[in-house]
Amino acid sequence: MHRWKRTFGWWVVLALFATLLAACGGAGGGGGASSEPIKVGAIFDLTGATADVGTPYSRGQIAFIEWKNEQGGIKGRRLQLISEDYAYQVPRAEELYTKFVTQDKVLVFSGWGTGDTEALRPKITEDKIPFISASYSATLANPAETPYNFLVAPTYSDQLIIAMKWAIDDWKAKGNSGLPKFAYLINDSPFGRSPLADGTAFATSQGIDTPLEVPSPRGATDLTPQLTQIRDYGANYIFLQNVSSPAALAIKNAKSLGYDVQFVCLNWCANEILIKQAGADAEGVVGVVPFDHQAEGAKVALEYARQKNIDYGGADSTFVQGWTALSILIAGIEKVVNDGKELTGENIKNALETMGEIDTKGVTLPVKFSPTDHAGVKSTRIFRVENGKWVAITDFISAR
Amino acid sequence: MQSGTFHTTYASDVSLRPYWPQRIRIVMVLVAALIFPWFADRYWLNLANTIAIAAIGAIGLNILVGYTGQISIGHGGFLAVGAYTAGLLAVHLGTPMWLTIPIASFFTAAVGAFFGLPSLRLKGLYLAIATLASQEIIIWLLTHGKLLGIGESLSLPRSTNNLFGLPVEWLGNNDFAFYWICLAFLIFTVIFVSNLFRTRTGRAFVAIRDQDIAAQVIGVDLFRYKLLAFATSSFFAGLAGALTAHYRGVISWERFTIDTSILYLAMIIIGGLGSVSGSIYGAAFMVLLPAFLSNMARALSSVVPDINSYLPYLQQGAFGLAIILFLIFEPEGIVKMWRNVKDYFRLWPFSY
Repeated sequence: MHRWKRTFGWWVVLALFATLLAACGGAGGGGGASSEPIKVGAIFDLTGATADVGTPYSRGQIAFIEWKNEQGGIKGRRLQLISEDYAYQVPRAEELYTKFVTQDKVLVFSGWGTGDTEALRPKITEDKIPFISASYSATLANPAETPYNFLVAPTYSDQLIIAMKWAIDDWKAKGNSGLPKFAYLINDSPFGRSPLADGTAFATSQGIDTPLEVPSPRGATDLTPQLTQIRDYGANYIFLQNVSSPAALAIKNAKSLGYDVQFVCLNWCANEILIKQAGADAEGVVGVVPFDHQAEGAKVALEYARQKNIDYGGADSTFVQGWTALSILIAGIEKVVNDGKELTGENIKNALETMGEIDTKGVTLPVKFSPTDHAGVKSTRIFRVENGKWVAITDFISAR
Repeated sequence: MQSGTFHTTYASDVSLRPYWPQRIRIVMVLVAALIFPWFADRYWLNLANTIAIAAIGAIGLNILVGYTGQISIGHGGFLAVGAYTAGLLAVHLGTPMWLTIPIASFFTAAVGAFFGLPSLRLKGLYLAIATLASQEIIIWLLTHGKLLGIGESLSLPRSTNNLFGLPVEWLGNNDFAFYWICLAFLIFTVIFVSNLFRTRTGRAFVAIRDQDIAAQVIGVDLFRYKLLAFATSSFFAGLAGALTAHYRGVISWERFTIDTSILYLAMIIIGGLGSVSGSIYGAAFMVLLPAFLSNMARALSSVVPDINSYLPYLQQGAFGLAIILFLIFEPEGIVKMWRNVKDYFRLWPFSY
């Protein structure tokens, strides 16, 4: 036992020493010689609370970089993606971001969650790192406060308002009188709550009662109590601001309760994972899908994934979303290189703000940033699950 | 070598660090701490600041768990109280950090004492669950922040990061400036807590830990000292929380969940219960472990190309494995391992 103890002790000492060595080894690099790869930083959630959608999203981003490099990179310069899992933990995101920016000298960054993107705000501004995130929180869209954050999809607030507009039309189209009742079933996090204030303001302006807000606890295995509460409230439409797995659970629970209600998923649960998990119960669920994976522009991504045998769990829309989101950021870099300017965060930001519309070939409406507005897309379409597939049922709807 | 020591005065007998090797080590550590930021880049400064803040919180928790024997799983909540108190003062009143940090610390001490009330009646597992409840209550208040006028996250105005009217940017970039602030507070915490256990109050804490009934018999006012332990512990949690708020600039409750409470418990168990230096080692270990794994993986990625796809799972497992290995092989923590190293050299070459 004693010898074991001592051996263990030495291992720990060795391990800590190796940390220093390994980190010192990574400290070099950087520089600006034009033959060097252009470094892109990213954090992914592969093991945390939102890993179900985080994984296909990450695969989309990795695939885009590989594809772009196969196409010859940017004027012959390769792109290098420096990425790591952060398990949806804010302190971990801060650590990795600082590491990628200061040691690896990444030029641009692709983030993930609402909580961590918001926590990184002051650093992003200070470091002048053009930043896209998979969070479409409205607080990130104002360049006066967050000059380096870019939103590549409608904000969560806009998504919710678009969903509500559809719901009101749907209610009327079904021949109901009066106004529908709304409820939110949300992820218990800044991500979940992000659009609620704006959504409620819109709903009440339409004369609808203040929607009931019910958080679904993290890691819940049964949402029946939450759904019972919503049923007692009498909601006709439940807006799900959550990731796929808990959303699928809610849909199945509602079915077994015999509660006939229209579920409306926002971005992060409106994907194939939801259909896979909820099975037949997903039929008729409506979703706000800002990135259309059936569009012309998505074919390149899906074809490439098929060729390379990339496993993204069948979540076409989320894979395409990761691919497209990063392609928009890279478009900014490409513009700077083509203009023959120096690759700096400031130049990339200016390029994105002044380059006009970025065409995604139908995946989204053309993305357009300006120095006063970083919400690149304002409108999106509504989809519905029909025969196990997401099918577009409306034209583009705008929140405002 | 540390031998042949004779104390000829009471003063030298009760001094905190009586041996010259100890004093030399402290000087060396201090010199290293003073030199470090001039060579480190922002990544290492960020890690160092994270460790310093975590160490302050861990020392606080150690006062309660390690020294007084009152188990608490509510530390994340107390960190949140400190962070949000400082944050709300800074956001709504524009209070500068040299005022928000002490106010937040004292307020957290009061909140901690309040949630320590059950400790008079409850012990062990029961107390653990009661403190867990306090964590949940605090987080519930913050997530349903409409009651307190808190939104999803608080963004502190940069102008409040000033010391007596002097903006901290004056010291250098944010990470560099906060290195000095965090280091100063850590040194204050270490000196305060090391001395605390040489006072009447500290000895009362230890007496309660060792056998509370016996302590009561010899005249220790259990109620008073248990509450005092909760208050002192929470004071440092509040300090760590307030530092986090000003350093990060943005706070949300996600940073202070039950996971954080458990992480702090793991820090003091791995570092060493009832030891100030152990708390610092534990904090450093827990902060450096994921960084170590990712650096290792990157160094190995040329040899083992797929390692990056396994890394997330390795990281998850490593935390659990570290705790289990420590509990089995060195339940007294890193501080005991360090003592073994010292003993080895002290006795060398006659190690028997």
